[in-house]
Parts: sequence; structure tokens; C-alpha cells
Amino acid sequence: MSIKKRTLGGSFTSPAIERYWAKPSSAHASSDEAFVLAVLDALRKVRLEAIVVGSVAGILQGSPVTTQDLDLLVRDTPTNRRKIQALGAALGGRPRAITELSSALRIDLPAATIDVLFDQLSGNLTFQALRARSLSVSLGGQTALVARLEDVIASKEAAGRPKDLAQLPTLRDTLRVKKTLGRT
Amino acid sequence: MVQARKRKHVREAALPIVDVARDRQRLAKLLPDIDPGDLDLILTSLARPFGSGRRFFLREIKPGVYVY
Repeated sequence: MSIKKRTLGGSFTSPAIERYWAKPSSAHASSDEAFVLAVLDALRKVRLEAIVVGSVAGILQGSPVTTQDLDLLVRDTPTNRRKIQALGAALGGRPRAITELSSALRIDLPAATIDVLFDQLSGNLTFQALRARSLSVSLGGQTALVARLEDVIASKEAAGRPKDLAQLPTLRDTLRVKKTLGRT
Repeated sequence: MVQARKRKHVREAALPIVDVARDRQRLAKLLPDIDPGDLDLILTSLARPFGSGRRFFLREIKPGVYVY
């Protein structure tokens, strides 16, 4: 394993994210935070109701983990399918199927990848149930619907992939710390 | 050279400082099974507001090579 510092060819941001990064309210934001804000802004503009799930939901609740994508859960309706196309266009990407076996869509962007999941998560966690328990989080002038840490943990337990299992101790410990501090 | 030193100084002065000592002392007694290093990591992460410059996406630029 080696870590090299080097100048990377190409940009890891896009115009939508650059605009966000340039805002005074985002003066201290990293490109990752600016990316999340740009996605929330695009969701609002296309009027797509989405719940932030997965690792980013954990991160937004203080868990010290890293991830490769931003997972969104939406209802599977023809209208939402159209809105997802509009979301991709707003961010400069095009939604595509991840695999033939899954209905989920992926939007590849220079800054990160967005995975759009439909109706439910592993562990029979439905959109309705997650939405009812979700947190409404204010982030840099945007509002995000974020799945509770308990639901993030339950979905990762049910998914059971190595990368999910690897994050579970940190997510569980974060939840225990938050509960002990009275911050849930 | 002077300018480079000045820039470094400005960068370091702008770095956020997170003091979790009091919470750590309290929580270490209440949650003794959490590794002290993990506890510090969680507390510092909880103390960082969104928009403070946290990075959390890993991008794979080719198989097995990531940038963050």
C-alpha cells in the first residue's frame, strides 16, 4: 500500500458543485460537503422526495466513517423516475441501471456517485417506515431527510456485505455515545 | 520562503480545535468497552459541524487506487 501526493488530471467537482463551493455560507465546506449540498439543492429544485440513507446518513449524524457513494431512497413511481432523470441533468450526470438484477439507479459524477434506491432497504425497511422515523436536518441552508442511525445500522446488518459489516462497530459505538450524551 | 512560512501559519491558525477531554473522561467510565481511540474519533466527529471541511468520500480512480 502506498499513498502518493500528486496532481490529478481532471476535475473532481462539477459546475453545480463549484457553484455551491463558491457560496460564502460554504466557505469552510469541503468538496464532499459541497457535493451533498448541491445534491440537496437539486433534489429541492426537481421536487424529488428522497431520504438520505446508508453511510452518508451515518456521517451526517456524526459517525466517523468514509464511503464511496451517496445513497438516496425514493418511492418508485413514474413521476419520480422522471424526476431522477431531471436530478441527473441538474447535477451533470445521467442515471443508469447498476445491474440487471436490481432496479436501483446510479448517477456517476466527478465528485462522487449517487445511488438511487427504490421503495425499501435491506431488512424490509420501507420508505414509509424510514420516512416516519427520519430526521429533518438543516445543512447549509438546505434541509435533508436523513434515516436515523438505528435504521442505518439495521439496513447494514441485513445487507451483510463485508463493507457494511466493517462499518457496523463504528456506527453502533456512535449511536451508544450519542445516546449517552443525550443527543439522539 | 517567508511567504511560505506565513501561508503555513495562516493555514494552521485556521484549523478548528476540538476539545473532547471532558466528554471523554465522563464517557470512558460509562462506556468502558469502547476503545479510547475510537471514543476520541467519535467525539471529535460529533463535534464537527457540517460545513467545517470534513471529507468522507473515497473516489476510486482505478482499481484499488483511491483519492479522498
